[in-house]
Parts: sequence; C-alpha cells; structure tokens
Amino acid sequence: MNTILKLEHIQKYYGNAGNITKAIKDISFSVEAGEFLGIMGASGSGKTTLLNCISTIDTVSAGHIFLEGIDVTEINPKSLARFRRENLGFVFQDFNLLDTLTISENIALALAINHTPVGRVESRILEIAGKLNISDILNKYPYQVSGGQKQRCACARAIINNPQLLLADEPTGALDSHSSQMLLSTIQSINKQLGATILMVTHDAFTASYASRILFLKDGEIFMELCKGNDSRNAFFDKILNVLTIIGGGQSHVC
Amino acid sequence: MYAKLVFRNAKRSAKDYLVYIVTMTICVTLFYAFLSISSSFYNPDIGSEYDFTLLSDGMKAAICMITLLLLFLIRFVNHYMLRQKQKEFAIQSIMGMEQKTIGRIFFAEMLIMGLVSILAGIFFGVFCSQFITAMLLTAYGKPYEISWTLFPDTVLWTVVFFVFSFLVVGIFNTRTIQKTKIIDMLSAEKENDPELKKSRWIFVMVIILELFTVWAFITGVIKALFFYDSRFPIPVQFMYFGNILFPAATLGWSFLWLFKKKKWNFQKLLCGLLACSVLNTFAAVSVPALTNQYYLPLGSGMLRQYLLFALIDLLFFICVLIYLASCFIVMWKEKSPEHRYKEENLFFLGQIISKLETTSKTMTLISVTFVLAIFLFIAAPILTGWAFGYLDIRSMYDVQIFSQYNDVHDEKELLQDNYEIVTDFLDEHDIETAYDCTFNLYLPKKEDFSHRTKYDFPIVAISLSDYNAIRKMLGYEQISLGKNEFATQWKIIAAEEERKNFLSKHIDVLTDGGTLKISEQPYYEEAMGETLYNSYTDVLYVFPDNICKKLLPVMRNRYITTTEKISYENACELERLFTIEYPEQTESGVAYGVRFSTLQTNSAIANNFILQTGMIYGAVVLMVICLTVLSLQQLLDAGQYKYRFCVLRKLGVEENHISQLILKQLSVWFGLPIIVAIIVAAVVVGYFIQTVSAEISAYIGLAALMLQIGATVGILVILLLCYFISTWVIFRHSVNS
Repeated sequence: MNTILKLEHIQKYYGNAGNITKAIKDISFSVEAGEFLGIMGASGSGKTTLLNCISTIDTVSAGHIFLEGIDVTEINPKSLARFRRENLGFVFQDFNLLDTLTISENIALALAINHTPVGRVESRILEIAGKLNISDILNKYPYQVSGGQKQRCACARAIINNPQLLLADEPTGALDSHSSQMLLSTIQSINKQLGATILMVTHDAFTASYASRILFLKDGEIFMELCKGNDSRNAFFDKILNVLTIIGGGQSHVC
Repeated sequence: MYAKLVFRNAKRSAKDYLVYIVTMTICVTLFYAFLSISSSFYNPDIGSEYDFTLLSDGMKAAICMITLLLLFLIRFVNHYMLRQKQKEFAIQSIMGMEQKTIGRIFFAEMLIMGLVSILAGIFFGVFCSQFITAMLLTAYGKPYEISWTLFPDTVLWTVVFFVFSFLVVGIFNTRTIQKTKIIDMLSAEKENDPELKKSRWIFVMVIILELFTVWAFITGVIKALFFYDSRFPIPVQFMYFGNILFPAATLGWSFLWLFKKKKWNFQKLLCGLLACSVLNTFAAVSVPALTNQYYLPLGSGMLRQYLLFALIDLLFFICVLIYLASCFIVMWKEKSPEHRYKEENLFFLGQIISKLETTSKTMTLISVTFVLAIFLFIAAPILTGWAFGYLDIRSMYDVQIFSQYNDVHDEKELLQDNYEIVTDFLDEHDIETAYDCTFNLYLPKKEDFSHRTKYDFPIVAISLSDYNAIRKMLGYEQISLGKNEFATQWKIIAAEEERKNFLSKHIDVLTDGGTLKISEQPYYEEAMGETLYNSYTDVLYVFPDNICKKLLPVMRNRYITTTEKISYENACELERLFTIEYPEQTESGVAYGVRFSTLQTNSAIANNFILQTGMIYGAVVLMVICLTVLSLQQLLDAGQYKYRFCVLRKLGVEENHISQLILKQLSVWFGLPIIVAIIVAAVVVGYFIQTVSAEISAYIGLAALMLQIGATVGILVILLLCYFISTWVIFRHSVNS
C-alpha cells in the first residue's frame, strides 16, 4: 500500500534549558492511503501536540514528518499556509465555523481560498452537501443549526478540497451521543466511500472504535498499537477499553 | 484587597483602553485651554478701548454646552468596557462577591482612569491655552507674549465638570451591574453579533419622513394658492411646482408600496424614498435661495420651515443610505459569483455585512455628527471673516448717527436736528474731532415718500458737497459732476451684474428739480458705511447741490471722526445719553441710531471670538468623538475578530492576505461614514457658500476662503490618519497575538 504520512523520531520539547517539558519523546509511525487512524491517550499524553506538529501549526524539536514524500518540517514558513490548504483538511472540536457566513458560504470559503474556478464552486458544494446530508441547511447561519449539523458542515469544509490527509481533533467533543454517532458514521463513510485518509485524535473509546487502527500515547510515547482487523466494532471497543485499563486510566476515563 | 484589585485592573485596562484615555485627555486639554480665557485670573493686555467681561461669560456658557457632548462619549466607552468585563464580573459573583461591590470596584477603576486623563489633560491644557491666548490677542490686534500660569478657578471647573460626568456615568454602570443576572454575564462573551437582527429604528425614520412630507405637501399647496403668479421666472415656477410634486411623489410611492406590499420588499420602498428625499431636499433648499434672489413674498417663518424640511430630508438620506449599504453589498454579492468566490472575499463581505447590519444606527449617528463637524469647521472662518469684514464697513466713522423714516407718515414729522448733544459731550470730555459732517438724504421725488413696500423702497440722494465731505473724511478722492448730471454710490455687497443692470436702465432720473443725466463716471463703489443708504437699497444717488435744495430731505445723518479713539467708558456713556434724547422708537415715527466704532469693534471682536472658538472647539470635539467611537468599536470587537482570523489561518490563508483583509475592513469601516458625511457636507457647505457668496466675495475673498477650507481639510485628514493608523496597529497586534 501507498504510505501517505510518515513520522520519523519526532520529538517536541517546551521550556528552556533548565526546565524542559518533553511533550513528545520519540514517536515514529506511518499512515497508509485510505486508512482511518485513531490516536488515543489521556490528557497530557501529547496527542494534540502531535496533531499540531503534523498539521504544521506547530514545529517539531527533532525528527521528520513526510507527507506524500515531502518533508513538512523543512518547508519554508511562507509556503506553509499554501501547503496546509492544498494538502490538509481540519475538523476541530469547537467547529471553527465563521458566524458571519452561511453554511454554504463557510464551505465555499475553503474553495475560494484554494482558487477553485468560480463556475465549479456551487456544484461542488451541492455535491458534498448531498453526501453529508446538509443540503437543506445550506442557507442557514451557524447559530441557526445544531451542533451535529455544524460539525458535518466543518467536515464538508475540510474534505471539499480533496486533501491528502484529514485531521480531526476531538470531533465529537462538543456533541451529544446521538449527534456523535451520526457524525462518526459520516466520517466513516468519508473514509470508505471517498477513500479519504483520516487521522483522528480522541480520548473517547467509543469514538476511537470507528477507526481501523489506534495508537495509544502515554507520556509522549507510543504505548501500544491496536488494529481492528476483522473484528466487529463492538469487539474492537472492548479491546480498546482493555488497553485503557492497562494504561492506568481505567474505566473512569471512558465515557 | 479591593484597593489592590482596583489598581491592578486600572493598570491592565489602561493598556486595553489607551484610545479612551488619550481621547479623554484631548477633551480635557481642549476644555481647559478654551475655558482658561474665561478665568477671573486671566488678564491679557488688550488695551483700554476694549472690555473683556462680555467675552468671558459667553465663552463659559458656550464651552460648557459643547462639552456636554462629551458625556455621550464617556457613557459609550463605559458601556463597552462593561461588556468586555462581564465574564470577569460573573466569576467574581460566583466566587461570592456582592454585585454591589463589583459595581463599586468597576466604578473606582474607571474613576482612576478618568483622573489620570484629567491630570494629563490639564498639563497639556496649560500649553494649549497659549495658542488660544495668541488667537485672542491677534483678534484684538495686540502683540503676544508667552506667560505660563495655572488658573485655579479653571482647574476647579475642569475637575468638577469631569468628575461630575464620571460620577453620573458611574452610577448608571453600577446600576446596570447590579441588575444583570450572573448567567447573562457568563454567556455575554459567547454571543457575538447576535442573530443579525435589524433594529426597528428605520421604520421610525420612515414614519417621521412621511409626516414631514405631508406637512411639506400641504405647505407647498397653500403657498402656491396664496402667492403663485404665472409671471414668475422659470426657476421660481419650478420651485413652486417642485415643492408640491416631489412631496406628492414621495407620498404616492409610499401608497403604491402599501398596495403592492406582498410583492415588493421593504428595501424597494426605501430605495424610492431615498431618491425622493434627494429631490425634496433640492426643492426645499431652492426656497430660501430663490426668495433671496427674487424677493419673493412667502410669509414669515417660511424660510426656517423649508430649511427644516431640507434638514429632515438630508437626515433621512444619510440614515437610509447607510441602512441600505449592506443590502447593496448583499445584492452585489448575489449577482457576481466571480467576485464572491474570489479568494477571501466571502469572508470580507461577511464581516462587513454583519457589522453594518448590527450597527447601522451608530454609523448613521457618526455620519450625521461628521457632517455637523465639517460644517462647523468650514462655517466658522466664513462667519467670522464675514463679521470682521462687515465690521470694517460698519465702523468707518468713530461716531455714526443716522435716522430712518420708515414709520413716519406725515412729512411734517421729519425733524431737522443737528444732534448737538454729541457736540456737547465731546467738548465736555475734551475729545477732539478731526472731521464732522452733518447732512441730509433726499428723496428724488416727493411722491416716493409714500412708497413703503420692501420691493420698491425709493433710492435716496445726497448732495455733491456732502458726498465729497464724507469722501474727504475717509481719505478718498473728490468727485465732480457736470450741470444736471448725477452719479451713483454702491454698497460693497452689491453684485456687478445688479449694478450694470441698474445703470443701463437709469440713464436719466426724474426729480422734483428736473431731469438729470448720468455722468461720465456713473458709479463709485468705495466702502462708505451701511447707514448712507435707504432701507432695502444698495445704491445712493449723488445729485448737484442746487437740485438737492428742491428735494424733500427724509433722513439726517451725522458722521464724526476723532483724533484719538473714544474710550470704552465714554462711548457707553454717550450712547446712553443719546438714546435717552433720541430713542429708537419715537412718537413721530422717526427712528434714530448711533454707532461707535469702539463699541462696535469691541462687541464684534468678542462675539466673533466666542463664535469662532466655540465652533472650532465644537467641531474638534465632535470629530474626536466620531473617530473614537469608530476606532473603539473595531478594537473592542478584536476578540471576536481574533477567533475569525484564527479560523482563516487554519484554513491556510497567508499572513499577508490577512493583513490586507484587516486593512480593507478598517478602510470600509472608517471610509463609509466619512464618505457619506463628505457627500452630504459638500451639498450643505456648497449651498451655504452659494447663499452667502455675495458676502464672501465682498468681505472675505475667494482665495482666503479656499485657504480656510484647505486648512480644514488638512486638519480632518491629519486627525483621521492618526486615528486610522493607531487603530490599525492596535487591531493587527490584537488579532495576531
């Protein structure tokens, strides 16, 4: 299979010489095209730092990150914005939609920023909205729709430019369980039907159970790796809970 | 503990609200500087012929009135700070602090910021008052010396005024804090530009416009019924019909909209009314303009009424234009996808539209205030220049005595007096006269005596010897006339066209002493004072002496120049004595008047100074208020913008694009109200200049006027740039941090 993302000995330190915090000690892994990878860990385990490094929002202290063979740690800071918008899609916990624009305009903005020809903008929006089931709220403002709908809009915005990699940071964090399920099914279908490569960070076992492979982080290192294989989602969920118990979080960390 | 909290908060807020402190300091500086003139300790050397008390009292009143406007600014900034700090208040309340205490802490904090501004303001005010003193002494024509003094009474006034303002606003704030629920405070930060709902004030404006239009329509019809004459020239005809048809069209459009309400949206009504308000404005302002030009009879109070109509129309124009601005942008956005989907345009338009829709009322107020400020800036030098120029014309003689026969109906009542009381007074006080001339003004024909309507008031005549005596007094060359010839003397304000027209029609003049022909030099236009002419006329005949002997003398004047200036006290005393002997209203109907150059100059300088400083002070204060409100509105929302620009950054927009977006957004925000204001102000100022164009060319001169307008524009641009650049820098900093 084709490797899309490859991390080699990533390290990230905060602070100065006398007082160093090692957020990421030494992490290496790779993501294949069309994979749905979950990253789990307790608070402070370094998962958000890792995501920020991959998304080029933060820089690494040591190591290399290759996306489609390009070393993102070597990219000129001026070209980073361009690299981001052409290769990456983001879904955030708090949606990050602009409240001054309608749902359709929020999606269109991502296209416009990427210089999509004007004639194709609206057809693309309609197409993606149909897939994510948000066609009937396209002309509403974010404050007029529910959290689940907002997050699906954010997904639409993230994948409309066909990014190499879709990064999701706690996408269900602000949603109730029903909306979470709906959204996760959507993300799964994005993965299966559109063949998008997804990297999702979460601390929720249920959310993680939708992924095909999970990396568990503990204290800035990969503690364990779990593959779904041919298991059912429920069986995978149980496995995840077991790992979490081993890590020390126990059932209390599971919602 | 609380004191510590107050000081720490004040210190932190000072950083956030630097613009507020700077604005307050500017206001205190201006207040102190202008008010220092009225201090009882202020004693500039302006000479014995002038009296200063008149100026002080007027000045104090004018400055306090204008400064009341500052209360609005103080209230505005406090309101915004309240909103910013709601979350902090909420946390303090949850922790168990009483809301009363929170209110007091906030109040103490604002008071500290205010006191810092007052101290800084007074410090700068001491410097600034030097400029005002320089202005004052220049106005009185005296040399200027720098003197550094702090006036205790002015300091007291300043501190009392501003502390009182802070107290009033502080009490309001404390009440607001006490009444707000904790849950509302907590969620205050989350609701950003809520609901994009438009307020209903525009409906109120439409209703007001409709009511005024009905009034204008009725007035137009009544005036046409009473005063219309088909022989009027075309512009006047247009004026009469315009003032009926345009209001009628406005009402018609509104009715049409009511019928088609289901199909037509509200914006359509507004667009129609916008066009109508422009037409109505032109129709309304044509009334005073044409009335002046053609001496139209319209009844008393009409001019003011039509100016009111014009004002309402202009106000409506500003309101609707700004209200519709967001609609226009939305329409443009809908119609041109190529612009809409070009790079970050969607984001930019979203920012502008949401802000415009929620703050159109503030924008309108800012625009209206801007218009007022620009008008004050430009009108101040015109009015004072006019008054000073007029002063030179009016006070050409040290003593000027004149009479009018407007209310005399019997020729026998016309008295021939030499005003000896003045001679006696001058002798008594050892005031030497350089020239003294007592003379009559005659009616060319006796039957003219009965002509009393404004439009055919007779032109009076002066004898050649008296005319030459006055010319000698003023240092002009003597003139001569051939046998049975006459010449004319013109008021300085008379237009060249009017003079040519008159002379071409008056080659001969029929008098009781025979027919006179116009001389080779038909007119003279040196300034000779205003009392030399009959009421409502701009011209005076000069007849040979022998002819004048046969005419009816109707007015008797006496002009005196003295070797030394008459002192202020003597002038007041003589005026009092003269008025007892020769009152302005007598039983016979003859009206007497006396003018002293000392008194005229004194009151003119004082009034002018109050007018000029008052207007300039007012204009600066208004402008500072507008710019501060504009700037603070953007800066205080920077938190919201920070989030939005952060989203853009995550979406992969380059930094230079973000900088451009910020610049574009601020340009629209500052530009829109200012451009609307400049358009409206150009119309208002243009109309004003056109109305007083005769006075401008006579007393001020076009070049001087242009210089003044240029200086005004310069000040505006500098103020605007200062505010724009500082807002831009702070905005960028807060968005990028």
